[in-house]
Amino acid sequence: MKRSVTRHAHLIAAAAALCALAAPAAAKKVAPLGPPSRAVTDDIIDAIAEEMDRALQRLELPDAPKPYHIAYKITEVEVNDAVASLGHATNKKARHFVNLECRVRVKHDGIDNGNFVVAGGDGIDGTAGISLALEATPRIARRAAWLVTDQAYKEALVQLRNKLDARTAGGVGGSTVQSWTAEAALVGDEPVLVAPLESLDDVVARAEKVSSLFRGVPAIRDSRVAVTSYLERRWYLTTEGTSVTDTRRATGVMIVAHGQAADGQELAQYFTRYGRTAADLPTDVELEREARTLAATIGALATAPLVSRYVGPVLFEGEGAVGVVRYTLAPHLGGTPLPAGLRPQEAKLFGGAFNDKIGLKVMAPFLTIADDPTSGVAAGKAVIGGYKIDDEGVAAQRIEVVKAGLLSNMLTSRTPASATAKSNGHARRTAKGGAFHGTATNLIVTAKGGLAPAALKKKLLAEVKASGLAYGLIIRRFDDSAVTASSEMSRRELLQMLSNADLELPPPALLAYKVTPDGKEQLVRGAQLATFSVKAWKDVIAAGKTPTVFNFLASTDGYLDHKLGGVDEGFVPSSGIESSVSTPDLLFKELDVVPSTVGYRARPALPPPSGP
Amino acid sequence: MLLATLLISCGPGGRGGATVKPGPDLPPTDKPIELPAIPSRIETTLVAPLTGDTSAARSPVLDVMVAENQRWMATLTKLPDPAYYLAYQLVEQREVSLDAEGGALVGDRDETDRILDVEIRVGSPELDNTRALSDDANGLNEPMPRRAVAPFGNDSLAVSNHLWLETDRRYREAVQALTYVRQDQRTLGKRAGVPDFAAGKPEIYTGTPAVLTFDKAAWVARVKRCSERAFKGVATRGSCGVQFTQNTAWLVNSEGTQLQLSWTTAQLSVSVGVKADDGQGLGRLEQAFAQTPAALPDEAAVDKLIAAVTTDLDALHDAPLAEPYVGPAILEGRAAGVFFHEVFGHRIEGHRQKDETSGKTFSSYIGKEIMPTWLSVYDDATIATLNGVQLNGFYRFDDEGVRARRVDLVKDGTLVDFLMGRNPIAASPTSNGHGRKQPGLDPVARQGNLVVAAARSVERADLEKMLLAEVKRQGRPYGMVFTDISGGFTNTSAFAPQAFKVNPVMAYRLYPDGKRELVRGIDMSGTPLVALQSIRAASREVETFNGVCGAESGWVPVSASAPSLLLEKLEVEKSFIPADRPPVLGAPSIRQGGVR
Repeated sequence: MKRSVTRHAHLIAAAAALCALAAPAAAKKVAPLGPPSRAVTDDIIDAIAEEMDRALQRLELPDAPKPYHIAYKITEVEVNDAVASLGHATNKKARHFVNLECRVRVKHDGIDNGNFVVAGGDGIDGTAGISLALEATPRIARRAAWLVTDQAYKEALVQLRNKLDARTAGGVGGSTVQSWTAEAALVGDEPVLVAPLESLDDVVARAEKVSSLFRGVPAIRDSRVAVTSYLERRWYLTTEGTSVTDTRRATGVMIVAHGQAADGQELAQYFTRYGRTAADLPTDVELEREARTLAATIGALATAPLVSRYVGPVLFEGEGAVGVVRYTLAPHLGGTPLPAGLRPQEAKLFGGAFNDKIGLKVMAPFLTIADDPTSGVAAGKAVIGGYKIDDEGVAAQRIEVVKAGLLSNMLTSRTPASATAKSNGHARRTAKGGAFHGTATNLIVTAKGGLAPAALKKKLLAEVKASGLAYGLIIRRFDDSAVTASSEMSRRELLQMLSNADLELPPPALLAYKVTPDGKEQLVRGAQLATFSVKAWKDVIAAGKTPTVFNFLASTDGYLDHKLGGVDEGFVPSSGIESSVSTPDLLFKELDVVPSTVGYRARPALPPPSGP
Repeated sequence: MLLATLLISCGPGGRGGATVKPGPDLPPTDKPIELPAIPSRIETTLVAPLTGDTSAARSPVLDVMVAENQRWMATLTKLPDPAYYLAYQLVEQREVSLDAEGGALVGDRDETDRILDVEIRVGSPELDNTRALSDDANGLNEPMPRRAVAPFGNDSLAVSNHLWLETDRRYREAVQALTYVRQDQRTLGKRAGVPDFAAGKPEIYTGTPAVLTFDKAAWVARVKRCSERAFKGVATRGSCGVQFTQNTAWLVNSEGTQLQLSWTTAQLSVSVGVKADDGQGLGRLEQAFAQTPAALPDEAAVDKLIAAVTTDLDALHDAPLAEPYVGPAILEGRAAGVFFHEVFGHRIEGHRQKDETSGKTFSSYIGKEIMPTWLSVYDDATIATLNGVQLNGFYRFDDEGVRARRVDLVKDGTLVDFLMGRNPIAASPTSNGHGRKQPGLDPVARQGNLVVAAARSVERADLEKMLLAEVKRQGRPYGMVFTDISGGFTNTSAFAPQAFKVNPVMAYRLYPDGKRELVRGIDMSGTPLVALQSIRAASREVETFNGVCGAESGWVPVSASAPSLLLEKLEVEKSFIPADRPPVLGAPSIRQGGVR
């Protein structure tokens, strides 16, 4: 082993976490493990390490600061995925690629180029990437490392110059907090072996079989079923001496159906499940049942009334509770400072509502929240948001963010928000400016004194009565535009959406019910939370007893991005940050809900063809 | 992936239309040079569009498309906003690409798509939903990429459902667009009288499904070997790649056209690159095209390509930056082909003569002499090979279902016609089979196989003597010779000068004593009418540039064939060189291992 990084490294002890990741309690059977990478071997890592050492020692332009920290992330991805519609594939792909990404920080950790957005050049972030060979070829890896480090260094200098200028001009304000935290070097070179991918033929067959359930269903305008099986091997190498590897493995299925209401409004429903292998997914029989349920729901929504404007208690059940956690709470749990140089409206999209609230009450006192990327299981079910090492090479940690309603901690990366802040291994999501932000990936909400479903519904109705309302509202699913966006919109409609959308709102609810004092439920459509302040979390008045565990891929693009771009109909959900939320049902005291006015269009002049 | 070898940046493809008054005669040129009445050598093999029709090979998919098209038209023609035309195009493409760098495989892709395009026209041929709005502030006249897909296979229910879905979307969008068009027309003081659509006659053709066959392991070995050999000299990048496609396109329209077209393609690329000391990115690319992988160049021929690109790159790395220049120049065959494609070809695309925002350089010159009388230019997509070289722009029917045919554009120096799709102009009310696009976009008039033919020509060596004579006559220190052009762009919008800029890769100064000096960092620029008038002589040999051209209807395969040309005056200006520098550290010793 030629790697100089090993000289000053010490081993980490993450055995407990690794055990949890490797053997979820819920796995139905243990799949045999696949082979290690043939593209990225020790020789490749050594070649890149040699270039890294050379760059740290000698990479310098006259009168410019040197790199003080260089980090490499090598990512090898293998994917088999397929999309099918009405029993036949519309897209199938087997992909395999290897990328090398380099991040260079210049000057020193007190003030460096990081977490700053260059005006008119948000791609200038001290980061550069390049492809590596699919078969281990050290000389090519060495050359790639040389070129990519050079490019990242030059970008880092430009970024630093702009950052210093902006501070001088007062545009982004000065900060006494250092730019970057030192972390102990980690070494963990043993390959993390995972189960092999399901074959492309298997993936195609499953997508085709489930998708055929929508054949001849009159309420369904459009439908697709996507199945993906992928693994992502990662290696981190830094000038601090870190050299670690990790592997993520997931298999997922997505069922999407669209319909149209009697008044012309577009309808969508989806079902997604992710696990680490196909063994974690529902069986074909269960998937077919879900497909039938989606079809029936679309049919029911077609004649369901539009929700009326409503101010009152809202109960979030099941995936609805997951959604309200995912969209209104999770973005604010990151403790990384918002990127400097962004307009405030844009910066808000990266969260920040809980900044400076450590020790203060931020939610109902019976709620406790933790993020645990060291776990492969939550409430007895396999979760996919686990990892050994985060994207900055820091070991994952379980962090209790909220304890009994009080904000006790934030999810942090190596870009600190205060002089004493350190990374707790949650660097996962990148933002403009190139910094990784503290991100929740296995978020667990627990409630003391949780109620059974019937008792929770009773509590909702009691609140309805106390408020003098005729009914209450239950939300059971939010939209996920990375899954459901379609290409229905005309250019003119897209322009209108672009100019009218409120980017801070959570997506519309796809499944919402009015519930009257007699306990009867009526399906309504078009429910949209009108506003949502994080302060509403203080007014959660009850929670359920049993958690819903839901895995998903958190897209790095926003809701509107997907709506504007449309999801390519060949799209398969194998990109995004592997994430999970485990939460009980949640009852909020008072929220504003308005009817959605988007997605109205003329009904087809012809019914769909009936086939031969 | 390197797709663009020819690049054009065009204005919006509008459909306004106006009556064009004849343009003034161009000023007389200097006394022409006497040239022997020997034509440049052009030998072609032609394939008539209907040859090889095999009705037994007809796919059931065509019947599904016909049935759904008829089902929709039976209703749409009776609606308050009636549709008068509906076309379906389904393109199934398998694309295999293998890419190697420095001897190692870096890319291995094999993907298949089936893309559905639905074209629907609402209103009437005289005024329909495709008419460009006079105010394009929101970009509503821009094409909107839509990537609809259809399931693989012949399942009637699955395929027809996707046809139904996309037809509904497109009809709704067309009705909405027509509302805006009508409102716009009501407020216009001067309304265009040229229709929006040219009717076509029904075509029926069934091509035999082509099957892509290749030995993957052998090709992996070949691209690896090729890229290892290309990674030499000053190159910091040495890549080789192949791209094979298997395509089947089905086209059905409400006029009765039913086409099944199927073909394979193969492309091999050798590419090397390095950054010059002043930061200019230097690269050399050679490509070979064929109908099948087996027809691509053999090892010996690939070695010649490698030798050419690596030798050129080493020379470019040491070459000085050139200074601005105006004077005589030779464009060698392939460079002359690209020059004509950019400077002339894009301006002769019919829809640009109609676009109110276009400069319409040639609109008023029909019947006028625009280049020397011994030069003719035509576009003929039915040419399969020219002088033994397979042409990239071959096709049987265009993407609007119109049969390909030869179109004479310039006859004996006089402009006679335009390249036309089904968007008519006053001078050409019908299509001549040049409506082209890549799947997912709307078709416009595009080039196919552009051919420049000289009725008088000289030997190549004599052309150089004539260049030096011009150098002497004009009192210039040297002349310029361009042997390779990577691409360029031409502005056709009326908002900016009607200028072109093309990017030479290999440019030489030729001194009176015969010395040749390679230079870099320059672009050719000018205006088309002046440039064409400046042509003085042509060579006997004709060369072909095969490539892919990008414009508002996407990337389409094209070729441009031309003799080498002597221009009396060509302007050369400094090209943009980004403020960059080569890598700070020297290259690691990647060929021997270890760090330098």
